[in-house]
Amino acid sequence: MKLYEFEGHRILAKAGIESPFFIVCSSIDEVKQARKRLKFPIVAKVQVLTGRRGKAGGVKFFTKEKQLLTFAKEHFGQDFMGEKVRFVSLSQKVEIKKEYYMSITYDTVKKLPFLIFSFQGGIDIEEIKKKDPSLIKTFDIDPISGPKDKDLAKFFEQDKTVLADFALRLWDAFSRYDLRLIEVNPIGLTADGYLMAIDAKIILDDAGLLRHRDLDILPKGAISAIPTDREILAKKIDEDDYRGSAGSTFIEFDGDVVVLASGGGASLLVMDSVIDAGGRPANYTEYSGNPPAEKVQKLTKIALDREGLSGCLVAGAVANFTDIYETLRGFIEGLRQVRPKPTYPIVIRRGGPRQEEAYEMIKKVAKREGFDIHLFGPETPISVACQKMVELANDYKIRNPKLES
Amino acid sequence: MAILVDRETRVLIQGITGRSGVQVTSELLDYGTKVVAGVTPGKGGQEVDTVPVFNSVSEAIKTVGEVDVAMVYVPPLSARAAAMEAIEAKIALVHIFVEKMPIFDVACVLSAAQKAGVCVLGPASVGAISPGEGKIGSIGGPAPDNVFSKGPIGVISRSGGMCSELGLLITNSGFGQSTVVGIGGDLIVGTTFSDLLIEFEQDRDTKAVVAFGEVGGSSEIEVARLIEEGKFTKPFIIFLAGKFAEKLPRDTSLGHAGAIVGMESTMAQKIKALRDAGAIVAENFEEIPDLIKKAVG
Repeated sequence: MKLYEFEGHRILAKAGIESPFFIVCSSIDEVKQARKRLKFPIVAKVQVLTGRRGKAGGVKFFTKEKQLLTFAKEHFGQDFMGEKVRFVSLSQKVEIKKEYYMSITYDTVKKLPFLIFSFQGGIDIEEIKKKDPSLIKTFDIDPISGPKDKDLAKFFEQDKTVLADFALRLWDAFSRYDLRLIEVNPIGLTADGYLMAIDAKIILDDAGLLRHRDLDILPKGAISAIPTDREILAKKIDEDDYRGSAGSTFIEFDGDVVVLASGGGASLLVMDSVIDAGGRPANYTEYSGNPPAEKVQKLTKIALDREGLSGCLVAGAVANFTDIYETLRGFIEGLRQVRPKPTYPIVIRRGGPRQEEAYEMIKKVAKREGFDIHLFGPETPISVACQKMVELANDYKIRNPKLES
Repeated sequence: MAILVDRETRVLIQGITGRSGVQVTSELLDYGTKVVAGVTPGKGGQEVDTVPVFNSVSEAIKTVGEVDVAMVYVPPLSARAAAMEAIEAKIALVHIFVEKMPIFDVACVLSAAQKAGVCVLGPASVGAISPGEGKIGSIGGPAPDNVFSKGPIGVISRSGGMCSELGLLITNSGFGQSTVVGIGGDLIVGTTFSDLLIEFEQDRDTKAVVAFGEVGGSSEIEVARLIEEGKFTKPFIIFLAGKFAEKLPRDTSLGHAGAIVGMESTMAQKIKALRDAGAIVAENFEEIPDLIKKAVG
């Protein structure tokens, strides 16, 4: 989970890394109040999850209240680089002598955390890399022992005492709070020789969140800062029940075919195949790891609870250990609760433990209750079943022209 | 021959008394795998399906003798301690089935394993099967013969479901598999595509390898380098999934923790690197059997 800058500063503070004093505002009134507690010049920053907001005009210095308020009014509730702005932070401008770059993340090839450092802070690391790769230095970290003070001092050739101290604190935050990325760009060296985090970018490891229920973090959507109602509901399914997973990843699109995929790999294949066949998925989601029927039922209900649908695709690879009867029983239970009753085609393509039993059950339900369900077993490749779904959905749209609005 | 697992492989299961531990024990015994011991702290002295349960890995080894593989089937936040115990006991291969293991714990386990000279498969790995020989983990579930058959094709996927899916596709087209391995979908994993290709290169039973690649990470680029350096010389067929995701914002994670949009290499970079190196990139999933036929006749 990606964090807002101000949430990042709070985590840095827990490791003793200072930031310029800031106030987070969510309305013009709050900006007016906050500005009284600060001296001009004031730095206003739009709080969004997308990077490079500075370049896009999301970070500005102000010497007068009027301009500051205009800036705030322009952004609150408005779209900024595809994201709705909920917060603007204000802080006092700090005099900086030098700017550095430092981050810690995982090297997926070496399978180790590593620190990235540059004396050229303040600009995007990708740009520094393009300009002159020799300006970037890396330091591999043994995750069990952590970085050693004396090795760090050797690594930073200048300002080594303060930089090694900063790196140790950064590592402390990274390892203590299960972070996937911690990036401070720039780190500012103040006139009195202290280092301050002028910015903070943090990505939490979702698998580690269970250990940090005390962190005060706002819920985030799958691809934007503000989750949709369905995303919130879907995420809650896994929070309430640890068995298997269902709905942890739920991304909404404006298509008309609901996708309930199974498995991390198969779900990607399903989405690609639907799109290649000319279909428009209404969402991306995935359930796997043998979740109980209730979890699939909840996910089904959440995903199908929307208008303008022309199909529902339940597809996954041949399961190894997921009980297909249980999960499809969950799907059917969920389907029954959807109002109005779905009349669009439903394509199911599954295989694995108890699949045949599950299909017998579904055939009976479909006949008795009048659902348009098309069943495909493991002999039909996933991609072919996805093509079938798109054909059926297109037919349905032709028969129900008012869907095309 | 095959890789990772054969008829003689001796297995220990950590978390054997849990729901999935009990299930996998019976599946492995049915397949003929030698499950020689189980471990659940506090439950020593019990039995699961005739397999003796011990309180610790060291106690188990003292009683039943050396084992080749430890399988970790415990809750996510206990996985680190369990895997560390197996590594300390120098068990040659530690298979971590556990999903949703925090990445920091994974890094610690892999670092300790490397120092101890222990191999790790996973986390979130469904396991490995050498059809007709043996299996570790939950691959193929209770009925592996429905999808897997003995033959000359090595199979690698991050995803457990796609291991079975590819197995079935290959079986139905008249070929079989030497070994099928699910490496797990996490950001960092103990055994990579490249590690397995080096093993498959040595394996006389493997004539070609089929892999299922995904958006995010750079394991496919590593593979391309390996082929270019001449360290893998057999036909390599790969299908890449997750094109749709490249339109999503950077850092969006999908079903697999390691499938992160914009992370390291793009799909186009992967395809180019693989093709330049001489790998066969499948455009459609269902054309894989034809590509195998062309490659190994």
